[in-house]
Amino acid sequence: MLIACLPEIGRQFTGPAVPALFETCVLAADVMHRPKRQTLKAADVHVTFGGIHALGGVDLTLTRGRITGLIGPNGAGKTTMVNVLSGFQRPTQGSISLDGQDISALTARKIAQAGIARSFQAARLFRDLTVLQNLTVAGIGSGLSMRAAAAQARDILDWIGFAGNAEWRCDLLSYGDERRISIARALALQPSFVLLDEPASGMNEAECDALMTVIAGIPSQFDCGVMLIEHNMKVIMGVCERIHVLDGGRSLAEGSPGEVQKDPVVRRAYLGEKASDKTLAI
Amino acid sequence: MRLVRFWFPAVALVVPIAVLVLLSQSFAPLTVQRVVTEALIRIVAVVGLYIFVGNSGIVSFGHVTFMAIAAYAAAWQTCCQMLKPITMSGLPAFLRDNTFPLLPSALTSIAAAGALAFLSGLVLMRLSGLAASISSLALLFIVNVVYSNWESVTMGTASVVGIPTYVTAPVALVCAILAIVVAYLYQVSSRGLTLRATRDDEVAAAASGISLYWSRLFAFTLSGFVMGLAGVLHAHYLGTISINAYFLNLTFLTLAMLVVGGQRSLAGAVVGVVVLSAIIDIFRRLEAGVSVGTAQLALPAGTQELILAAVMLVILIFRKDGLMGGRELELPRGKAEPPARVQSAKNLAGAAGKT
Ligand SMILES: Nc1ncnc2c1ncn2[C@@H]1O[C@H](COP(=O)(O)OP(=O)(O)OP(=O)(O)O)[C@@H](O)[C@H]1O
Ligand SMILES: [Mg+2]
Repeated sequence: MLIACLPEIGRQFTGPAVPALFETCVLAADVMHRPKRQTLKAADVHVTFGGIHALGGVDLTLTRGRITGLIGPNGAGKTTMVNVLSGFQRPTQGSISLDGQDISALTARKIAQAGIARSFQAARLFRDLTVLQNLTVAGIGSGLSMRAAAAQARDILDWIGFAGNAEWRCDLLSYGDERRISIARALALQPSFVLLDEPASGMNEAECDALMTVIAGIPSQFDCGVMLIEHNMKVIMGVCERIHVLDGGRSLAEGSPGEVQKDPVVRRAYLGEKASDKTLAI
Repeated sequence: MRLVRFWFPAVALVVPIAVLVLLSQSFAPLTVQRVVTEALIRIVAVVGLYIFVGNSGIVSFGHVTFMAIAAYAAAWQTCCQMLKPITMSGLPAFLRDNTFPLLPSALTSIAAAGALAFLSGLVLMRLSGLAASISSLALLFIVNVVYSNWESVTMGTASVVGIPTYVTAPVALVCAILAIVVAYLYQVSSRGLTLRATRDDEVAAAASGISLYWSRLFAFTLSGFVMGLAGVLHAHYLGTISINAYFLNLTFLTLAMLVVGGQRSLAGAVVGVVVLSAIIDIFRRLEAGVSVGTAQLALPAGTQELILAAVMLVILIFRKDGLMGGRELELPRGKAEPPARVQSAKNLAGAAGKT
C-alpha cells in the first residue's frame, strides 16, 4: 500500500491538480486490487442481424495506456463493436481475447468484472440513484466493499470535477453532466479497458474541450486503455494515438491520426463526404 | 450528526407509529386497538413485500404464500394439543404429538418461509421481470391448491383453530419496528443499492458488474423471511387460520397498499398501510351503521371496496409514484445550492441538448 503510494506522493509535489494525498493512496490501493490486463484483441469478428452484416471481419487491438479512436459513418458498426467487446453481443464468428485468453463466451457481467468497462450512447445512468451511488454501484460490481467503493467514487468525482454535486439525483442532471458521469461510472469499475461510445454527443464547444482533457487523462490516471468512438473529429484527432476507421462493418484503415487523415480511401469514403474540410483542417 | 442523518428515514417512520400505538393503548376503545394491531401486522407484511418489489421493481403476486407457510408452520407447532392427532393426523409424529414453545416455533416458522422463498427464488429469479411476476402468481396458486387439498395435514380449506393468541399491539409494534429497520438496513446496504441499480437499468447494471440473479435472489429470500414474520403474527393474533385468507384478496390488498404509498420507498410502504387501513376501517364502520342523533345511517355493503378501488385509481392516474413519490423522509441537505459555475454549465448543456 505504501509502496503503491510512492509514485503518487512524487506526483503530489510536482503535479498541480492532484487530489489530496490520502485519497490518492486509496485510489492507488484499489487499482492494485485486480491484475491489469495488457491487450484486448478482437480477431475476425463477424456479426449478422438477420441478413444485415453489421460487422464483417474486423480485427482490432486495444493496448493498455493508449487511446484508440474508432470512427466511421452512422451505421458503420461502431456500437456493435463495443457490444461485442463488452459481451452484450455474441459474435457470429471470430473471437475476443484478453491477454490471449478467449472471453467470447463470457456474460456481460463477467466481462465487466474481468476489467472491460463501457459507457452507453444513451448514458443509461441509474436515474433514481444519486451521482455518488451510481459510481458506488460500479465499484461494488468490481468487488469492492461499499465503503471502499464510495471512497473511490468520491475520488473519481473529485478528479472529474463533480465532487460538489455528488448527492444530486441523476434524473436532475443535464445532458452533458449525464455523459460525464457515465464515463466516471465506467472508470469506477477499475477497468483495464474503457470503451466510450460517443461520450461528447450533444455537448457544447466548452464542454467538449473539457471532456477532451478528461479523456486524455484517463490512461495515466486509471492505468487503462481507452477506446473512443466519436463523430467530432477535433476530439478524435486531439486525443487518440491510434485510429481505426470502420465503414459498412469493415475496417477501412488503421494508423496514427496523421496517417488516417492523409489516407485517400478514408478521405473519399468517410471524411470527404461526411465531415467538412473544416473538421479535417485541425 | 452523521448517525442522525443515517438513521433519520427509519426513525421518522418508527417514532410516529410508536406514539400513535401508545396513545391508542391508553385512550382508544378496544375496537380501535384491534384495528391498530391489524395495521401493524400489515406493516410487517407490506414492508416485507417492499423489500423485494420496491427495490427490484418486479411486482410479486406470490408473497402472501410465505405468510401462509409460516402461519401454518406456527399452527402445527403450537395449536390444540388434544385435537391435533385427530384433525391433522397426517402430520409427522414429532409435530403431531408435541407442542412447542412459542418463540422457537415462531423462529422456525419464519425460517421455513425464508427457505421456501430461497428455493422458489432459485427458479423465479432466473426469469426476466414480467415473467417472474406471472410465475410468482403460479407459486401462490400451487401452494394454495396443495394446502387446500392436503386435508390430513392442513385440514383443507377448513380453519385451524386454537392457536395461542399472544400478539397484542405492543408485540406487533416491536415486530413492525424490526421489519422497518431490517428493510432500511437492507436498502442502504451494498446489496440493496445494487438491486436498486438493476431496477433503474438492467443493462447498465450488468455493464457495472452486477449480477441481476443474485441480487434479486437475496432480496426475494429476505422478503420471504419478513413475510414469514407477518404470517406468524397473523396466526397468533387471530388464533385461527385458513389457507384462503392468504390468497388473492390479501395479495391485492398488500399490493394496493404498496402502490398507494409509493412502491419505491420504505416510507411509501408504511404510509400506504396507514392510509388504506384508516380508509378501510372508517368505511367498514359506516357500512355497519352509525347513529346520527336519533337516525341510524348505514352505507350499503361493498362501499368500502368501491372506495378502495377509487383511491387506487386516483393514485394511479394523478400520482403514479404513490403518495410518497418514491422519496424517503430525509433531513434536508445542508449544501443544496449547486455552485454557480456548475449551474451555468448545466444550463448551457441543457440548451445544447435541446438543439
Ligand atoms: N439489434 C440489431 N438488430 C438489427 N440490426 C442492427 C442491430 N443493431 C445494429 N444493427 C444494424 O447494424 C448496423 C451497425 O449499427 P451500429 O449501431 O453498430 O452503428 P454505429 O456505427 O454505432 O452507428 P451510429 O454512429 O449511428 O451510432 C446498422 O446497419 C444497424 O441498423
Ligand atoms: Mg453507435
